[in-house]
Amino acid sequence: MKNLLAMTLFGVTAACSATAAEPFNVGVIAPTSGPVATVGVRQLDAIRWWQQDVNGKGGIKGRSVELITCDDQGNPEVAVTCARNLIDKHAVLILNCSVTGPVRATLPLVKDGPVMIVASPAILPDPSTYVFQGMPTDLDMTRALYDFLNRNGVTRVAMIAATDATGEVAVQDANKVFGASTMKFALSRIDLKANDASVQLAKVMSDNPQVLYSSYSGGGAITVVKSFTNLGLTIPLIVNNANATDAFIDVVKNDMPPVLMSIGLQSMVPEDVADAKTREHIDYFKKSYLAWKHEPDDQLNQLGLLLADIADSVLRGVPDPADPKAVKTFLESTPINSVQPVHYSPDNHIGLKTDNVVVVQYKDGHWAKAEMPK
Amino acid sequence: MGESGNAEMNPLSQAVISGLMMGTVYALLATGLVIVYHTSQIMNIAHGEAYAVGGIVSAVMAGLSLPLWLALAAGVAAAAAFAVALEWLMLRPRRDWSINGLILVTLAVAFFMRGVLNLWVGADPLSFPRLVSGRALRIAGGALPPQGLLLIIVGLAAALAVPLFLAATRPGRQLRAVAENPDAAALMGVNVDRTRTMAFAVAGAYGALGAVLLVPLISVDFQSGLGMTMRGFIAAALGGMSPLPAVLCGVGLGLAEALVNTYLGALAQDPIVFLALIGVALWQSRMIRFGGSLRA
Repeated sequence: MKNLLAMTLFGVTAACSATAAEPFNVGVIAPTSGPVATVGVRQLDAIRWWQQDVNGKGGIKGRSVELITCDDQGNPEVAVTCARNLIDKHAVLILNCSVTGPVRATLPLVKDGPVMIVASPAILPDPSTYVFQGMPTDLDMTRALYDFLNRNGVTRVAMIAATDATGEVAVQDANKVFGASTMKFALSRIDLKANDASVQLAKVMSDNPQVLYSSYSGGGAITVVKSFTNLGLTIPLIVNNANATDAFIDVVKNDMPPVLMSIGLQSMVPEDVADAKTREHIDYFKKSYLAWKHEPDDQLNQLGLLLADIADSVLRGVPDPADPKAVKTFLESTPINSVQPVHYSPDNHIGLKTDNVVVVQYKDGHWAKAEMPK
Repeated sequence: MGESGNAEMNPLSQAVISGLMMGTVYALLATGLVIVYHTSQIMNIAHGEAYAVGGIVSAVMAGLSLPLWLALAAGVAAAAAFAVALEWLMLRPRRDWSINGLILVTLAVAFFMRGVLNLWVGADPLSFPRLVSGRALRIAGGALPPQGLLLIIVGLAAALAVPLFLAATRPGRQLRAVAENPDAAALMGVNVDRTRTMAFAVAGAYGALGAVLLVPLISVDFQSGLGMTMRGFIAAALGGMSPLPAVLCGVGLGLAEALVNTYLGALAQDPIVFLALIGVALWQSRMIRFGGSLRA
């Protein structure tokens, strides 16, 4: 009887200590205001979905997940303050949903940890650091675009890029990929705050391109699409992966180009995902997110999910996630199951490649695999 | 993959067309700033928020399946109400404050309004259908959408009506009298408060008019206002805070931006526009120092 009482007491104490255990603090830097707010808001929504999903199932190892969020406004100086605050608050991981400039500004702050997962395709993390890339790089996405265009016999392509750091990287990568080919390439730059892209479009259209690629992320891409329609252009328009969202389509629905394409993760076309477990994970997220947020998920939500899945894997798989070296070693040796399998190694902190990228087209109310018009 | 099938474009023609469209909106914004400045001596930093309010309210109402004309009317009314509320609630009770203090109040209201709009509609840009649709008109290798033509005609007519209104109508003369000397105007029987309210209402409606004409061609979001204030302010300052020159400078600013974008690139746009502003400010201050009549 004494033993039974002791065991019951031990069990109750253990249960109490588990529920009262310190939560895992996960830091999130996301631009939820400023010119790239759409990028941050949607990724953060998916990360919040993950938090409530995990905590609703009892947390991880009996500990709840606490998000410490910070709006960097897409501004490098604010991003540095965000990173400092998250480190001061002992975030075991930082999920950085921001764009190139602000992410770059935070890199020196995590040289001794914690591990930071970034989602800006323009960032190429050094494998010796604690920074990991969640997306395929911009170069990989540009290569995927080139492969698609080349397969379809395109010989002349035009590009509109913003004047910010993201646009700068996009231009460098496009020069590397298109410049090394026989494809004719015309470029025009646009200010991130511009209200009209007609002038830039007129400049590149004078080279008679067969396709226009807009690497412009955030709300400014709407300016490009609307100006494209204002000019009555009919060639296929390919927008940045960050714009493959329902919110984007909703704003341009009255000005849809005849052919609107985008570049994105293969998970945008779930029926083409070969791995059954991955497909099941995507389906679960889509249904659960719809029920939770009352709106369908999009490419940016899936990107947020990818970051959350990496965090989830770390919190479950690493005995002490507060130890950045242990987290780094874990990520470099353990494949992560997410919307696509992510593989890091000690020599490579970029988890996805050109093969994980697909060119999609908006037709019949959803994004499907792209087909170049004949 | 076939040929592009797109008519050949002339960048210069397109720059002129786009510059006229944007310049018309800058002219409307500059006109609103000048009207308010003339009745209250205040540079209303929250003026661009009337553009944002007008555009966002119109987009939300159009999204609720209201007839488009009703949605646009609601947008203009909301912007006018916002401007009047700014005058009634924030500026009139602080009439004894310095002008600099009141300008700071309008700056605070601008950021407050941004926050309100962000909470209301979120961060995503919004838009609404065009009043007139159809194929773009081809002019010397440039393309002008029918909505753009409407924007230029209606916008310029509205902007140019203000100098006429101020010069040739009784309420216009009352506005000018209040601007010159409010106490003397009051002694002459002019209702100064009502005149100022009217000025803010007209300015707000003009900001919204720019939005309802332009937003179908682009988009609007919660942070569109401050950029529009800046462009309107540059045009108004270049025009010496006088209605007709401000309209012309608004159109000129739009054209200059488009031409700089075309021939020098987007990176050169802001430095050149602000360099022009600095140049004009220095020239105007020289006029004041050496007995000229201009003042900024």
